Amino acid sequence: MAVATKAAPAAAEDKELLISGSEAVAEALTLADLDVVTAYPIRPYDTVMQAIAKKIANGQLVAEYIVAEGEHSQFEIVKHASTVGARVFCGSSGVGWAYAMECLVVTPPLRVPMVCLVGNRALDDPGAFGVEHNDALFVRDLGWMLCWIDSSQEALDTTLIAYRVAEDRRIFLPCAISADGAFLTHSQALTLVPPKEKVDTFLPRYNRGDLLLHPDNPITVAPQANEDWVIEIRRQNDEAMKRASTVIEEAYADFRRVFGRAPDNPWFEEYMTQDAEVVLVGMGTISLPIKVAIREMRAKGKKVGLVRLRWFRPFPTEKLVAALSKAQAIGVIDRDYSMGSPFMSGVVANEIRAAMYNADRRPPLLSFISGLGGREVTLEDVYKATEMCYGAAKAGRSDAKTHWLGVRD
Amino acid sequence: MAETTTFTNATQILEPFRGVKKVTIEEYFTSGHRTCQGCESALVMKLMVKAAGPRTIVLGSTGCMYVANTTYYTTPWVVPWMHTQLGSSGSAALGTAAGLKALMRKGKMKAEPINVIAFCGDGGGADMGIGAISATLTHKEYNSLILLYDNESYANTDIQISGMTPFGAHTTFSPPGRAKRIMHTRWKKNMAGMMAAGHPECRYVATVCASYAVEMMNRVRRALTIGGPTFIHSLDPCPKGWDYDPMLSHELGELAIETGLFPLYEVEDGQVRYYGKTKAIVEGRARKPVREYLLKQGRFAHFTEEDLAYFQRKVDAMWQTWEIPAVVPFKRLDATKSALGAT
Amino acid sequence: MAALICEVVYRGIFQKNLAARIARGIVLSARKSGRWGIAFGRYGDSPQRNGIPAKDFAIVADSKEELEQNMARYEPKHTDVTIVLDDTLAKGVESWAWYGLQPINRLTVPHGTVLMTSLQSFDELLKDIHKKDAIYTLALVRARASFSGLWVYREDHTEVRILGALARIAPSFLTLDGVGQAIKEIEWGSDLKVESAKKAYGRIETREVKITEGSAEIPFSFGLPKWWEMREGVTIPAIPVGKPKEGGKGYVPERNPYFKKYTSRTMRPVIDFDKCVKCTLCWIQCPDSCFDVMPDGTYDANMEACCGCGVCEAVCPVEQCITMVNESLFEDNASQWEMWRTDKDRYQAWMAGKIGDKVATVRSHGFRFRGQYEQELKRDLDTGGVEITAGIPGENAQHKTV
Repeated sequence: MAVATKAAPAAAEDKELLISGSEAVAEALTLADLDVVTAYPIRPYDTVMQAIAKKIANGQLVAEYIVAEGEHSQFEIVKHASTVGARVFCGSSGVGWAYAMECLVVTPPLRVPMVCLVGNRALDDPGAFGVEHNDALFVRDLGWMLCWIDSSQEALDTTLIAYRVAEDRRIFLPCAISADGAFLTHSQALTLVPPKEKVDTFLPRYNRGDLLLHPDNPITVAPQANEDWVIEIRRQNDEAMKRASTVIEEAYADFRRVFGRAPDNPWFEEYMTQDAEVVLVGMGTISLPIKVAIREMRAKGKKVGLVRLRWFRPFPTEKLVAALSKAQAIGVIDRDYSMGSPFMSGVVANEIRAAMYNADRRPPLLSFISGLGGREVTLEDVYKATEMCYGAAKAGRSDAKTHWLGVRD
Repeated sequence: MAETTTFTNATQILEPFRGVKKVTIEEYFTSGHRTCQGCESALVMKLMVKAAGPRTIVLGSTGCMYVANTTYYTTPWVVPWMHTQLGSSGSAALGTAAGLKALMRKGKMKAEPINVIAFCGDGGGADMGIGAISATLTHKEYNSLILLYDNESYANTDIQISGMTPFGAHTTFSPPGRAKRIMHTRWKKNMAGMMAAGHPECRYVATVCASYAVEMMNRVRRALTIGGPTFIHSLDPCPKGWDYDPMLSHELGELAIETGLFPLYEVEDGQVRYYGKTKAIVEGRARKPVREYLLKQGRFAHFTEEDLAYFQRKVDAMWQTWEIPAVVPFKRLDATKSALGAT
Repeated sequence: MAALICEVVYRGIFQKNLAARIARGIVLSARKSGRWGIAFGRYGDSPQRNGIPAKDFAIVADSKEELEQNMARYEPKHTDVTIVLDDTLAKGVESWAWYGLQPINRLTVPHGTVLMTSLQSFDELLKDIHKKDAIYTLALVRARASFSGLWVYREDHTEVRILGALARIAPSFLTLDGVGQAIKEIEWGSDLKVESAKKAYGRIETREVKITEGSAEIPFSFGLPKWWEMREGVTIPAIPVGKPKEGGKGYVPERNPYFKKYTSRTMRPVIDFDKCVKCTLCWIQCPDSCFDVMPDGTYDANMEACCGCGVCEAVCPVEQCITMVNESLFEDNASQWEMWRTDKDRYQAWMAGKIGDKVATVRSHGFRFRGQYEQELKRDLDTGGVEITAGIPGENAQHKTV
């Protein structure tokens, strides 16, 4: 529930509300004048759909709110609504996202700028509500832009930025914003909500342009293609993803200009990395225990820092390599698994290994898997990981193994 | 402040074509598709958009009318057309209609009635996509027509059994063999009856056959005029999968009706109205024996007299024991004298 | 030659089972002659459509390595023997996965062979076959095109006759003995079929074709655009709306410029405009929208769009107004209506020549007769148990007796 608080807002026109990450997204969607949204229940992402339903019921937002009969239809409905020019929103979690997989696959080649919220959730079986990042990572190779957030404020801001980027004619790709289940979707924080006029300055109307499916623009979309065409179509998509790197930086710069906030570096947050010997890397709300642990360790003289990756696709290869290669050792804490992958590591660890391959300086990299199924990542887990990183820094090499933190053994 | 009534876009008022000479001359689905010689489903596409007119958006789920019709860089469509996934004709109709409604309602697009038609084959519609179609038929505030073109198999993928393949038919998943003559023992789903009976706010369901082109087009026009979600089931003879000379497509369509195998009817606001040759059957004209239809097709070439008789008994039962003959298969308890006999 | 590359060009679905047997037969025959081989269909032709040209390939080689060398590409870029199972394919093929019309001899190597089943003379066929800038041999097996549906195989020995003829063309890969042994052992083989193969070996007719011979038509070709030239979102423009034929009257739809479909045609409708009652049935029932509406209210079948299904003939209520005629009898795709308008008497004479003796010139889609299955079953009953073949013999056929 949105509760206005008395504290003075940071920017004069902003309203400060005590809201969850899901509610923050709903605020952004209202400001963006969303046209069509489809809902289907699954924990934890569906809190955003509950929040949107209230907005519509109370007349704050005029949009078609369609409760689908399953995630497959949920995603397909908004895909089609977008092709006639509607601004659309969707989302899911865990196996719900998996159920929609066919429709997730077709969205990028059709160049449909859909924005989604993935409330990260462990995959069945067993049924489990807690966070794991494997769900959103399903689509990592398919032309979806993927980012992870760690606060309600970031949820709101990133939603507006996501529309700006996705609906840019140079891009026209879908974007999934990942929010860790429960930590972000179900807890409330003080969040600044900007006025509509400013949002209108930042976010232009969605213009489908030459791809609009309308009797005034007769086109045929997605005919069957044979081997003479498919690789060219993939190449086009790859180029759009490449362009996204530029457009994301433009959008953050513009966001800063209009709203007076937004990080200089859109791609990842660097916390105390300036002089860090050991740099830990993670995505999402895992940043909270890591930051606390870093402060504790710094008090004891250990120079530890954090790189919290926001954008996973497009992957900020050069910037990340530049940031990480300064360290004595790197510890990547994945909240996902990639069974049978190189070193049996997590997805992020292996992406960073690949990114570092051509770097001039390659510090030892340790891979950790932690917090699966919503298990708490404790300060002790972080201390343990850091100690191992110091060991590798001293040895000048890593043991190339993957370490599971917080598992009973 | 509170909305008490749902906002619904206006529909186009499409009066029926009064005879074949009054049919619109323009084509909105033209040549250059890659369907089989004598493809009745391609004819259905042509007539469907001829009936709907130029202010129409068509969504096509995967199947013959996707793969054969539109091969990348070429298209037979004059009106805007877009692919949707195999099980998504319902979602495509709903999404497109919802997008148009939202934009028109909010003044972001010029308000005008635009027809939205999503088509599916029997595999996409009666098997995989039945859930999405069913859902769409409950969303009364969105105008769309879902047209199921039923060629009684997954014809695009090389003729495999679908939930709409008739009993005993030879397909690549049901080859008659030495040990089993009949591999396919299921009876075809009753899609139109099911859609009409199960969706109280769907105002219009019809069955059509393109052998009766004007009747067929007028059902499409009626559906689009009535608005809300509507459903049409078209039976399309398939020269490839049914295995007959392509020039027989039209004749087989007629035989399907005349044998009573496929009834032509419409259900508008809950009222059943038979039409065409089916009306004549209801009024007492004798049905032709189903063997006249079955034995013109290679897919039934392995049938024995016993198989033909079983098929005939099942069709007889549709007409003799169903509460609403050939439409809804419920029967009152006293109507236990089944034409199927003792079994 | 260390490898023999054969393509089998055929009518989709109607000859699918036949072509597959031939391609298999080539490999199995070569195996009996001590060679290695592989048989495959052109994947891009799948899913096949009734009548739309399709291809199978058979490659045989002296060693496994040589075979591999010829397999390491999507499809062969040249063929030693082009086997053509229907002589209306002589006009060229526009397969559903290609762009533009391709001459039937396009892949045939210099001094290679085009082997065709046909009853036409060499000269008649060379009016249809495109010129080639190399000498090749045209070889004929005298036979009507063997067509059947997907589920009922037509046992007219075409497959073994082709194999016998091939043994004559490429004896170093397929010996006649090898062919005979293979046919004997194959699921669908028999002693009678071995005899048929031997007869074809003896009776094959050949003629060398010079570079000056053949049709001078330059086929439509299509350049594939670069990735950045293609519209994003897998999007292409729709076909524009059509226009009146002339003087604000009639109607001619715009048509797909890249795919014409007429090479699917084995028969074409010949229309007697003097008999036409303008009932609209041919026009409205045509699945390919091939009928242009003329200013006088008659309908002209556009020969670039017509695929020859014959539905128009079937639905036309006027006796002898539309007649399906063997495609081999025509040299071009010119408008019949224009010819009729220019000179009605000349048109009647032309038409009479084409329709002529219906039995001789009119062909079917290969189905033995309309309603064949019913009559087969009836004959079966009448004689108390004559075998008929349902299904594909050797694979799933049921020899049915009642």
